Amino acid sequence: MREQICLSTHRRLKVSPEVIIILMMRIKPVRRLRGFPGDKYLLAILVTALFTALFVPLRTRGGQDHTILSLMYLLPVVISSVLWGLGPGALVAVLSFLAINYFFVPPYYTLLVHSTQDVLILVVFLVISITIGQLVGRVSKSLSETSARERDAIHLYELIMHLAGLHNEQEIVSALAEQTLIAFHAGRVDVLVEAQGSTPAQHVRLEDHAAPDQPEESLPSYIAPLQFTRGFLGEIKLWRDGSELSPAEERLLHTFASQGVLALERVRLSQAASRARILEESDRFKTSLLSSVSHELRTPLSTIKAAVTSLRSGTVEWDTAAKADLLAAVEEETDHLDQLVGNLLNMSRIEAGALNPERRWNSLAEIVSSALERSRQLTEKHTIDVDVSGDLPLVPVDYSQIEQVFINLISNSVKYSPEGTTVTIRAEPVDDSELQVTVQNQGPSVAEEHLERIFDKFHRVTAADRVTGSGLGLSICKGIIEAHGGKIWAENLEKGFAFRFTLPRAWEGFTPDIQQEITGE
Amino acid sequence: MTTQPHILVIDDEAQILRALRTILTAKQFKVSVASRGEEGLALAVAEQPDLVILDLSLPDMDGVEVCVRLREWTQVPIIVLSVRDSERDKVIALDKGADDYLTKPFGIDELLARIRVALRHSAQSLGSQKSQVITAGSVIIDLALHTVSREGEEVKLTATEFKLLAYLAANAGRVLTNQSILSHVWDPAEADRVEYLRVYIRQLRKKLEDDPDHPCLIRNEPGIGYRFMLDE
Repeated sequence: MREQICLSTHRRLKVSPEVIIILMMRIKPVRRLRGFPGDKYLLAILVTALFTALFVPLRTRGGQDHTILSLMYLLPVVISSVLWGLGPGALVAVLSFLAINYFFVPPYYTLLVHSTQDVLILVVFLVISITIGQLVGRVSKSLSETSARERDAIHLYELIMHLAGLHNEQEIVSALAEQTLIAFHAGRVDVLVEAQGSTPAQHVRLEDHAAPDQPEESLPSYIAPLQFTRGFLGEIKLWRDGSELSPAEERLLHTFASQGVLALERVRLSQAASRARILEESDRFKTSLLSSVSHELRTPLSTIKAAVTSLRSGTVEWDTAAKADLLAAVEEETDHLDQLVGNLLNMSRIEAGALNPERRWNSLAEIVSSALERSRQLTEKHTIDVDVSGDLPLVPVDYSQIEQVFINLISNSVKYSPEGTTVTIRAEPVDDSELQVTVQNQGPSVAEEHLERIFDKFHRVTAADRVTGSGLGLSICKGIIEAHGGKIWAENLEKGFAFRFTLPRAWEGFTPDIQQEITGE
Repeated sequence: MTTQPHILVIDDEAQILRALRTILTAKQFKVSVASRGEEGLALAVAEQPDLVILDLSLPDMDGVEVCVRLREWTQVPIIVLSVRDSERDKVIALDKGADDYLTKPFGIDELLARIRVALRHSAQSLGSQKSQVITAGSVIIDLALHTVSREGEEVKLTATEFKLLAYLAANAGRVLTNQSILSHVWDPAEADRVEYLRVYIRQLRKKLEDDPDHPCLIRNEPGIGYRFMLDE
């Protein structure tokens, strides 16, 4: 397993050769004997000696009660087992056995035993003390193992809590490095993630300033790979002075690595999913756009083609009125086409989020009059009643975008209301912060459930082939008005139908006061 | 005019060239055409046209570049004709010396009207060098005496209003961008304070126009700026 890691590290990371050497060293662990527990045995001997020194003065002349003494000798056995583990515990048991024999069982200062009873007591003491020592030692060992596992579990839990909810690779890598540094008391931690496709490489290095400085080129104490199902992702490098990682710590570090990988994978998957969703949406948009546009382009084109071919064909002699009619149709339809292309452009800008209104202080009256100028052809069969005073406060808007809103609303109003009726355009200040514009017609009302949805792309209240239009006009209005910080809605009136929208009067918190100054002079 | 005005059309679309040549010739103009920028510049030098109609997208150079090169030596009126309809493109072309801007597709009446305005404007500025009195319908502006009258009655203007009107009138027929008006009448540092311009234009219209809400003298150029019309 480790050899494999080593190979993949070498192949993919192209790291300097010393990293490989470290890994090789780790393959056959050469553990230093620093941790050899010789000192614990020494302590065990000392404890036995100390207790013996305490007990000797208590020796009575008769000295026959070895039972109590042997009970008292259980003390050093238990203490050593608890403090230093099984081996030292057993050593103390044997030493105590010898000490009782030597100092307390007559004849003193020999290992000879005369009485059978004494032999029995000594043997029983040895058996009991070793057994107790082993039991106590095992309990305390498993206790310390349990608490180590608990610490690991807490570190792991901390890591998982920190990784949860992160949606950015940089943050994940930082959290991983930070938690590794804390959990392993490391002097320095490096987390490297390789660049993959469009995702950039990540490298986070954290150092514990309290720990002694790690020279820049020093070799890491341990390297754990970040490995996921489809291959190598990166690695965690850990520097720690003093002690090597224990096998348990190595396991924990690998668990850290795999948690990090899971978090990174989760982020990548969710990014891929959202990209796929965007693509799918834009695909759907393009499909509906294409079907709508091909229909919309063909209708005016066929009128133009028909009118022009009939005028050019020599077979019919057209009178002046008929000629004028045909030519008017051609002009009208070219305007339609032009408007359609403009709407398509605007729509694609809105879709791409690239509308960026170029705001200037503008007069709504000027915008309305140029919108009317540009939709003169459309409005020939309607009366247009305009009540937009040139004295209205200026609004901070993109001239041509708001002009487009008016053209689309006028075109919609004209299209859906009977010829000869009136379309009214009105603007008035609502309060200090907004102007409200109303474009109102005398057409039929719209079912309540459509009122919201008429601003959706391609939404039509009537069947597509009955009225021409791309189904984009109103959704463009909505896009533009919202980009300006206003809102747009539609309402049914007692007699007719109205679009209303609001425009803010302030721009970045600023309203020009020049208007009052001059009008007052 | 006794001689036919000479118009040079620089556009790379053959269909537009064909249509314009036919229409303009029928309207009694003398027409030359060029489909590339360099060719157009050479023709302008060789034939000294009275007006240039210029497309912005040319195969060999940008139309704005043609504008700049023409302005190095001639004040011939330039009408830009382009499919680019963003305000930025229009403003750049106008600031680089174009007199007028028309977006394709355009109505031929509109183009002819603009040709007439441009030719009259250039004839006027050529004729009396700097005319001191400008007449536009019933409005008479005396640049030397700083007086303005409408239907024979004097109109009182503030200093700034007069400065603005004088600048517009001196460039009658030309489309003036907001920025160029602001930097001439106010100060180049104020070129972004469009709100001044809007308010002063409104004041001028109230004092000079028959119907301030449907102005004839000071026309809007949507999103670009204003244009002073001598009559019509």
